[in-house]
Amino acid sequence: MTNLSARNNILAKLKRQVAGTDYNNLPKESGFDYPKLSHQQQLEQFVAHLQNNHAQVIKTSRAQIAEVVGRELKSLNIDKLLYGKNSQYSEEIEALPTADMKCRVILQPFDFVVEGEAKQNLFDNTPAAITGSHSAIAATGTIVLWPTVDEPRTLSLVPPVHFVIVDANQLYADFTTLINEQQWHNKMPTNILLISGPSKTADIQQTLAYGAHGPKKLVVLLLDC
Amino acid sequence: MYRQNRIKAVKSGFICRLGSGNTSLETVEMSNHLKCMENPVKIRQYPHKPAQVYLYGTCLVDSFYPQSGLDAIDLMTRQGIEVIYPQGQTCCGQPAYNSGYQSQAKAVALHQIKQFELDIPIVVISGSCGGMMRHHYQSLLADEPGIQSFCDRIYEFSEFLLHVLNIQLTDTGEKERIALHTSCAARREMGSHNTSKKLLEQLSNVELIEHDYESECCGFGGTFAVKHGDISVAMVEDKTKHLLAAEPVRYISGDWGCMMNIDGALAHQKQPLQGEHIASYLLERIVGKARWKAS
Amino acid sequence: MTQFKQNVKRDLNDPQLRDNFRGAMDYLMDKRQAAFTDEDEWTILREQCKRIKQRCLLKLPQLLEQLEENLQRNGIKVHWAQTTEQANEIIAGLIAKAGGKTVVKGKSMVSEEVALNDHLEQQGVECLETDMGEYIVQLAKEHPSHIIMPAIHQNKSQIGKLFAQHIDGFDYSTDVDTLIKAGRNVLRDKFCQADVGITGVNFAVAETGTLCLVENEGNGRMCSTVPDLHIAITGIEKVVETLNDVPPLLSLLTRSATGQAISTYFNMITRPRQPGEKDGPKAVHLVLLDNGRSQAFADEELRQTLQCIRCGACMNHCPVYTRIGGHAYGTVYPGPIGKIISPHLLGLQATKDLPTASSLCGACEEVCPVGIPIPKLLLRLRKESVQPRADVPQTVQGQGAGRKPIEAWVWTLWALVHKSPRLYRLSTKLLTRLSWLMPKKLGPWTVARTAPKLAAKTLHELIDEREKQGKNK
Repeated sequence: MTNLSARNNILAKLKRQVAGTDYNNLPKESGFDYPKLSHQQQLEQFVAHLQNNHAQVIKTSRAQIAEVVGRELKSLNIDKLLYGKNSQYSEEIEALPTADMKCRVILQPFDFVVEGEAKQNLFDNTPAAITGSHSAIAATGTIVLWPTVDEPRTLSLVPPVHFVIVDANQLYADFTTLINEQQWHNKMPTNILLISGPSKTADIQQTLAYGAHGPKKLVVLLLDC
Repeated sequence: MYRQNRIKAVKSGFICRLGSGNTSLETVEMSNHLKCMENPVKIRQYPHKPAQVYLYGTCLVDSFYPQSGLDAIDLMTRQGIEVIYPQGQTCCGQPAYNSGYQSQAKAVALHQIKQFELDIPIVVISGSCGGMMRHHYQSLLADEPGIQSFCDRIYEFSEFLLHVLNIQLTDTGEKERIALHTSCAARREMGSHNTSKKLLEQLSNVELIEHDYESECCGFGGTFAVKHGDISVAMVEDKTKHLLAAEPVRYISGDWGCMMNIDGALAHQKQPLQGEHIASYLLERIVGKARWKAS
Repeated sequence: MTQFKQNVKRDLNDPQLRDNFRGAMDYLMDKRQAAFTDEDEWTILREQCKRIKQRCLLKLPQLLEQLEENLQRNGIKVHWAQTTEQANEIIAGLIAKAGGKTVVKGKSMVSEEVALNDHLEQQGVECLETDMGEYIVQLAKEHPSHIIMPAIHQNKSQIGKLFAQHIDGFDYSTDVDTLIKAGRNVLRDKFCQADVGITGVNFAVAETGTLCLVENEGNGRMCSTVPDLHIAITGIEKVVETLNDVPPLLSLLTRSATGQAISTYFNMITRPRQPGEKDGPKAVHLVLLDNGRSQAFADEELRQTLQCIRCGACMNHCPVYTRIGGHAYGTVYPGPIGKIISPHLLGLQATKDLPTASSLCGACEEVCPVGIPIPKLLLRLRKESVQPRADVPQTVQGQGAGRKPIEAWVWTLWALVHKSPRLYRLSTKLLTRLSWLMPKKLGPWTVARTAPKLAAKTLHELIDEREKQGKNK
């Protein structure tokens, strides 16, 4: 099998070169000590980065999710919202159609496997989606998703508008802190996604354009009350 | 288009370091943050003013621009130190070294270090040759005993004036606008852009103006200018354009390699603007044009 | 004239191209500068990242084995390719086995390196680039001119014309939003239809068996999420030891590349679709490519080449790249990093012009986030290039490719003169006395410059005279 011999050849070649290396005496890798910020300062940093990256940030509370999303959907002229049933905030989201609003929102649960007609429908007829989030990072204005069976990977990717709910209590100073405090190396899920704004590109003459392939609009509901 | 709201000067890195990269990260001052690290950055310690120094004149100055060598000697002599010019010196070896002919470069480099036997500073009137002797000799002549202490004695001219002689310049010249061009090796290996700037700032009647893309290479690069003439020409044409746009009456540099390139291009374009070596310029400013010319 | 020099001549004389590059590089340099405002942070972070990469390289064989073990445990199949041909065969084989017809590709320089698109198209597989820049380049039947911004050599009116020519129903426009929307619409259908997604990898984490992708557009997510089969291809040097190695490298990567604190998306893939999950590829494969990397690895100095995290900052700051653009190099990786990696991928015979096409200004090393001493490595490659040829090259394929007997002889003579003060003084004296013999035209030098004038007397002589007159006492 060429594949196996390629593997062995490459590894043998590499191993020859580093045989006998003393791995106990590698140079120390000290990082930069960033100034410690208070939770309030971290929140400000988080919001500033996101806004700078063209995301819309709305500070609200868990109780007001339906109201805020409804209002935003209305202003975007969108009447359909894809969401995950039995997910973190599904109860709040399910209050949407009954919320005190003039326009009706049709809630579509993500209860299908992404294939065939359902897949086509997801691409063609899904103007907006809403997800929860796993955590967030202040230093870069980043929202961390751990997609689940209820809130799959395409939920935050395919619809052109993505509402994401972020709990301010899940905000971490930086990526390293997050990984270490949560011991990620023991429990990596199928997919983790760090999102720091709407999809964008500057590939044409360094001119920023949003909504290259992913969501054109990212609306962050920051639960801060 | 982006270019319309142009950046004034392209600063790629940071300015207060004396060198960059793996071998030669040096600084004059050390912040608390950096002190905590395991020696990636070295502090260059400067000695007190010595009684004697060596001058390394460089091969280019020797055959083409000897006045700069004489002026450097005069300037340092005026500070009360004796300048020794070993007649056995030739070339630092950089041309062969940069062309890949390392054994030839090594032979020539070895010859140089034998010409400077006294344990006194060696002042090089080119940042590029200075960088070669201070940093590249360390790897080229790694097997040579005492090479580190030789390299430690190398100073670029403006660095020596500023940090070792602590020179105080009294400007006697007329008001004028000048620009500064620092060779890339001088900038990145010796930090000469900082030291040159600080010296020129001591001249009360001199206005130092920054030009666009000041930190960008002029396109000289030794044999590069011949081997890849087209690219080199494109670079020097841009450099002259940016220098001219700043409208200085002359531009100053510590490296004749770059100035040979830039002056050659300016003369070819029939521009009156020409370069002046920093040694000659400083001397002229403190003794006056007439006396400098007479010397 | 060599191919490289012909390319250089062609591109230097294209004012539009020169303008496009200058504008783009100004933009990227400015962006990067704004992202690094604290000099201490830059110095420390860069040293940290350099050490991370050096550690990972020192442990490379064991990390590759660990990565393989963890990926396989996670259900991601690992393939090894020593050559570009092997990589292409593996990928074509995987696609054929899955009955794949349409491939959507995320941006991957390694896939450019193996010329995957050409190979797959020969096999009858439609292979569509989905990164906006790559899509433009593919439509124009070109290659990327920059590793981060592939279509940087074209401006919006050129792209407007290209779209009008190739996209049904698109009317010429220079409005960037309109252009991007047109691209989005074409590619969105393809994401939905494609049966295979191919991407590169920015970091492969050995500790967890995780593939990390950095991107802004979301096409990488599409390619690695929507089709049933996801194939990732990467060079063996992209492996890092732990998850903790990722954040500092990621921070320097995006800030160095585009001045972003972080990219819009950072995608960490650890498994194919699990039972009950509603999306994600059913199968994920990783192809690990050597293609000359183990040659660079074999030499401690040249090994530093492999520290590269492909941010492109070296090209953004390179005065040569800025003027000649990315295509002139004639290699997949242009700019300073291209000059030091290409000789390992292609041999010095095919790349002998590259190491010399640098003024050694050092701007590249100054901005390199992992501290690769690029000018030093260029010097090393110059040395390899002019060494006597050997049937079994010691370190680099094509050793001695740049050697010219006359040039070698000239340098030997030069050394002879410069290590003998007497010969040196004699020759400089002769030169200055015979300066009237010096020609006014000096080859490439005098194309745009006047020839320098030799002094009447050398500094050696002048000082000698002074000393004799007792002036310098």
